[in-house]
Amino acid sequence: MSVRTPRTLAGRYARTAYLFLLPAILFFAAFFYLPIGNVVATSLRTGPQADQWAGLGNYADALGDPAVRHSFLVTVAFAVMVVIGSIVLGLALALALDQPLRGRVVFRVLLLVPYLTSVAIVGLLWRNILDPELGVLNRVLAGLGLPGQQWLNTAPLLTIACVTLWQSVGYTMVLFLAGLQGIPETYHEAARIDGADAWRRFWRITLPLLAPTTLFVSVMAVISGLQAFGQAYIITNGGPGDATDLSVFHIFNVAFRTRDFGYSSAQSVLLLVVIVAFTLVQLRAGRRGEVTY
Amino acid sequence: MSPNLSRRDLIRLAGAAAAAPVLSACAGAPPAPSAAAPGTFTVYWNAGHDYAAYRKVIAEFEQANKVKVNLQKYQWPDLRTRLLADFASGTVPDLVEEPGGWVQEFAISGNARSLQDFVDRDGGAMGFPADWQPVTVERNSYQGKVYGVQLHLTCNTLLYNKAMLREAGLEPPSTWEEFLAAARKLTKDGVYGVALNQDHTYVWPWLIQAGVTPYDPATGEIMGPREAAVEALQFQADLVHKHKVAPVPVSSTDYSGPQKLFSAGRAAMILTGPWDLDPIRKTSPDLELGVAPPLKHRTRATQAAGVSLFVPAKAARPELSWDFVKRVTAAEVERAATAETGMLMPRKSWAELSEVRSDPVTKVFADALAIAQDPSQQVRLTGQLGKWDEQLKVMYQQVLIQNQPAAEALAAFTRTAEGFLK
Amino acid sequence: MRRTLLYALLALAGLVTVLPLLYMVSLSLQTEAETLAADAVLVPDSPQWGNYAELFTRAPFGDFIVNSLVVAGAITLAHLLFDPLVGYVFAKFRFPLRNTLFVALLATLMVPFFVRMIPLYVLMANLGWLNTYQGLITPFLMDAFGIFLMRQFIQPIPDDLIHAARIDGASELRVYRSVILPQTRPALAVLGLFTFVFQWNEFLWPLVATTTPEMRTIPVGLTLFNQEYFTLWHLTAAGSVILFVPTAVLFVLTQRHFVRGIALTGLK
Repeated sequence: MSVRTPRTLAGRYARTAYLFLLPAILFFAAFFYLPIGNVVATSLRTGPQADQWAGLGNYADALGDPAVRHSFLVTVAFAVMVVIGSIVLGLALALALDQPLRGRVVFRVLLLVPYLTSVAIVGLLWRNILDPELGVLNRVLAGLGLPGQQWLNTAPLLTIACVTLWQSVGYTMVLFLAGLQGIPETYHEAARIDGADAWRRFWRITLPLLAPTTLFVSVMAVISGLQAFGQAYIITNGGPGDATDLSVFHIFNVAFRTRDFGYSSAQSVLLLVVIVAFTLVQLRAGRRGEVTY
Repeated sequence: MSPNLSRRDLIRLAGAAAAAPVLSACAGAPPAPSAAAPGTFTVYWNAGHDYAAYRKVIAEFEQANKVKVNLQKYQWPDLRTRLLADFASGTVPDLVEEPGGWVQEFAISGNARSLQDFVDRDGGAMGFPADWQPVTVERNSYQGKVYGVQLHLTCNTLLYNKAMLREAGLEPPSTWEEFLAAARKLTKDGVYGVALNQDHTYVWPWLIQAGVTPYDPATGEIMGPREAAVEALQFQADLVHKHKVAPVPVSSTDYSGPQKLFSAGRAAMILTGPWDLDPIRKTSPDLELGVAPPLKHRTRATQAAGVSLFVPAKAARPELSWDFVKRVTAAEVERAATAETGMLMPRKSWAELSEVRSDPVTKVFADALAIAQDPSQQVRLTGQLGKWDEQLKVMYQQVLIQNQPAAEALAAFTRTAEGFLK
Repeated sequence: MRRTLLYALLALAGLVTVLPLLYMVSLSLQTEAETLAADAVLVPDSPQWGNYAELFTRAPFGDFIVNSLVVAGAITLAHLLFDPLVGYVFAKFRFPLRNTLFVALLATLMVPFFVRMIPLYVLMANLGWLNTYQGLITPFLMDAFGIFLMRQFIQPIPDDLIHAARIDGASELRVYRSVILPQTRPALAVLGLFTFVFQWNEFLWPLVATTTPEMRTIPVGLTLFNQEYFTLWHLTAAGSVILFVPTAVLFVLTQRHFVRGIALTGLK
């Protein structure tokens, strides 16, 4: 069989594009879309072996389940804290460390250290540090003459958000640092010659040219914020009560503790729809924000 | 790799991919391959139970059956994740150790094999069920058939710091009233009278002592009598929030908080099981450890716990699996494991061993085993224990940590539970 | 003055991030009794270097390290090979269904892994790939994170450069290799680092996809140092320190790629 050469240039590029994409399409089909298709099929079933037909029953149950609603609200609150925090702090640190400071390599390493450590170990570590009776933190506070705090009882969600930020801010910083390398120095130079101060240069040059990175960071932050799991799984076990019952943690428990795979699959599909919606909004906003020079 | 093989791989890949949903596909699939290569016997075990006594059994088992034992050690939640994936694929281990409650759950779902045929044949010789504490047989049976054999039997009781009680002029408390009075007297600067656990399973001894039945399938009543359940929950919350004789627990996946406070001499009493003995002795060898029987309110009782063994329904060589069960639960193995680790065992004859009777700590536990109950059994048999436990955890922590009135939290709990137990 | 303030803030941030990890190092050098002590020990009486040796006597820790290196290394190489190419296509080609495909790609990030895990496990079991390197590696050869990252970094590369190369008669693959790739060095460094770190710490898949202790990776192997009701902190911490070292080394090696050289900063 012979492949006809497309007549138009656009057609040729499209063919090249699909040729380059082919391995990826096959790979994602086998390891993502087929399993996800299975998840969708499972979401229409019920029972411990997920072998009884349930139709849309699981979806109806999930939408009417106060625990599902509660965990979704908890998750959104958590994601808002983590997304805003990591973008603001990560960008600030990247800008600071993009400057010719003495010792900046050391700072960069220090700030990324928590990200390099596994979530499980970070969780265990913080659980010990934050323990109100026996933890190091309250001992340090006592040494400073301050009263001990029950972080995980009085502000559990904020506390695990802070632990998450502590771990992920270095990662955001690195992404922004890499993004800053893509901005040609000549733009800054020109602006400097025009007499623009640092603040103006940041708003007029750095931020617009950093738009692709910012879009990437914020899309990924929302996706991972809405799917946060390890913090609840390792530090709080969803408690006290249901105060840190994050959606994905909730879904995990429905699947592996309660063993209701149909119900957990339906909840995953609903979560998928929600995150896709969030991402589409961000991509649309991002496309408007992208500037070409 | 020969082209032939890779084509077969492709066909298998296509077959696997086409099976939707995969979770239910194994029923119609060709006979599932065993987890292990032939000649390998796969056992899932808790990482904390790799005792020398069991290693010896494994060596003998390998010798006798000409197989190699692949002992896969996990933490409980990981073991469960693993096992559920195995059930879905049909590739199952030959034998599984479980933390209590899974035997009936998997018997109901059809994933565990009934061992009744083996028990009928060998039960007399091995002393099962005659020599096992009755509660351990009941909690491992479903519809009159045995599905699991208890390996360890544990229970909660009262641990106290002898020196602190002596100093305060107190005898170990026996009733709730005495317990509260002692806790108040023992609480002073930097020391709590008692430390309670954040984990909801520690609520059971209190509820049983108050005479509460978690679920009565005949009447459908949940946590009745209601006043008794409220009293038991509020009693614990008051220890923390009203009398301030216990620290506020912190929600976590860890059970060792009270033990650490006790070891450090910052809590005079804790209610716990034998698992905390070892850490206490290691960290505080000088602490004068006292062990007293479970408390009494309407009745003196405690919760039975501990691990069992079961064989997955699709295990390829159940005879071998059963042989392993027999060997590892033999009376002399129990004895060796206790000598090695202090673990408590399910055989009645074990509780009468001279070394058990003569050990002041083990003896108290051994006696308590006779009044140990498995309260969640009726819930488990409905197949809804997972949901029940999630709700119970929330309710327990709302009362104990967040100081919500017990009556209110319990009412919300029973409403939800009625929904899924129906 | 401003510079001093900046230093002070950075030093504070660095301290906050690094102190808990110093505590981990301290734990790894304590006796078991010290790690269990109620009043947390900050500095061990005498450092227990033997804890590190004990890791290797209690478990096949050497195997864990090799497995982790092989699996995370292979996956990282695959990502460096595939992700930029696919990212380039999404960044610079116009073709039908481009936006739809891209959103479909991103959607793969929005399903928690454990939800896909059981179907994936069944697939691997049917292939007979459980407990093998290919079983541990294959499901992670590419991901949407890396592709999205590369797309974002390739997008700002001027189209003129690509056109110029094409006019010079370069093949598409050559355009990619000689025009695009050299421009994306910072992004490739980030991609390699993050992929390695992520896979290095991955837990759930190596947990279910391995069936013998000798095939476990370090994070899964570390769970062996938990008892039923408590953790052997001195060993867990020592293992965690070992777990940490390669990622830190990799970061130190790669970080200069995503940071402007001093000579280029326009410093007078």
